[in-house]
Amino acid sequence: MAETTKMAEDTKTDFDPNIVAFLCNWCSYAGADLAGTSRIQYPPNVRVIRVMCSGRVNPLFVMNALQQGADGVLISGCHPGDCHYMQGNYFARRRFNLMRNFLEYVGIEPERVRMSWVSASEGAKWKEVIEEVVEGVKSVGPMDSFKRRQLNW
Amino acid sequence: MVDINKLREIAKEVISRDDVRQVIGYRPGTYGFRARPAFVLEPDDVDELIFTPACVNNLATYITLEEKLPVPRGQEPDSRKVAVMVKGCDSRALVQQMEEKAYDREHLLILGIPCRGVVDMDKVNARFPDVLEKGEIALEGDKFVISFNGTKEEVAKDELLADKCKRCRYPTPLVSDQLLDDEVERFAEDDYSDIETLEKRSQDEKWAYWEEKLSRCTRCYACRNVCPMCYCEDCVLNRIEPMWMRRSVDVSENTAYHIARAYHLAGRCIQCGECQRVCPMDIPIMELNRKFYKDVADLYDYEPGTDAEASPLLSTFSVDDREDFIL
Repeated sequence: MAETTKMAEDTKTDFDPNIVAFLCNWCSYAGADLAGTSRIQYPPNVRVIRVMCSGRVNPLFVMNALQQGADGVLISGCHPGDCHYMQGNYFARRRFNLMRNFLEYVGIEPERVRMSWVSASEGAKWKEVIEEVVEGVKSVGPMDSFKRRQLNW
Repeated sequence: MVDINKLREIAKEVISRDDVRQVIGYRPGTYGFRARPAFVLEPDDVDELIFTPACVNNLATYITLEEKLPVPRGQEPDSRKVAVMVKGCDSRALVQQMEEKAYDREHLLILGIPCRGVVDMDKVNARFPDVLEKGEIALEGDKFVISFNGTKEEVAKDELLADKCKRCRYPTPLVSDQLLDDEVERFAEDDYSDIETLEKRSQDEKWAYWEEKLSRCTRCYACRNVCPMCYCEDCVLNRIEPMWMRRSVDVSENTAYHIARAYHLAGRCIQCGECQRVCPMDIPIMELNRKFYKDVADLYDYEPGTDAEASPLLSTFSVDDREDFIL
């Protein structure tokens, strides 16, 4: 019994989280690219999905990612005022503020759903953001509350 | 309370008009204390109309629920008005629908009923079980007078009053062409104490609470169908591609469904409580909706269903919106 509790604690901190990142084409994706070309080392837990704008990200994407086994979701876009489409990131900001609060209310830790502004020149900030997100997800452990389970018939 | 004769008189006047197609109101149900929606098409049918505290349904649903069949070539669509009786809470659904431009104001003729509160049918049935013959409920002062089978009983208002009425802030309809009674002053306030107690729990406790509640869901979609704000012609739930949540009934898909349903009502839910009323599994759906209602009021100072001229919350933004959660 004691061993299993210890094992549970171990998996909570020492696991490789899956993080799905929705990056906007114009800023954050280029920022992540810059981090890559500048050979900045950051945790390899992020799976990037490129979208045209952070305003494209539907809250259902987040919910679906968590259901399909992501331990955390990151949405990243241009800084306010820098959006390629003028206002997309403002809409996204409203949506995900509500979504985050709501998921916290239902019992999904707020560390799992993060949002950031990373511009195309901020490769170093991208590293910091990823480090913080990975650390946050590791602190709350694997996502298994409402993950979709495969049934073994 | 509304004078029943006056109500029928006005309804008769309205349905006799050439530019009115139908009056949507309430009539007694077939058994017990229930009332059900009535669709009056002829002036002679107004005699069945009633309004009592048993009239819990939100009739605003039927405005958008009505199926619009294609019109044969050469014929004009029926552009006559629909008259609808609304309580204070229901009128906010109309305001919100108009804010979203679901239809024109000219489409409607609104008969407003200032409301002092309706009963919660579950509470009534618990108190008076197995009443099969027709019964009546009336509100006199701060007591409900329940009469059935020759007996008459008085019950304190608080005991049977629906929860939504205990925090009703708009008892008088916010929009109406004709009021059927004198205006009612605000008699309750909303302090969100139920939401705040839930918010204070730890993450594990919250999930345990919602896991238990949501695992009960049978996905009958009654909450979606009854909702006056759920009127999309193409609902995400009916889509095969992409299938956002599967049809299977388990905790994962149920949670996904309830998150999606509640989120689609963010900044739109007008607190009529119909979803929770129709839920056959007693899931506290309003606790989900009220969380958004509270957040929207706190963060964006916006109240759905109060101003038909305003822009819907999530299709606008302010440059100064909060962003302390952003890395």
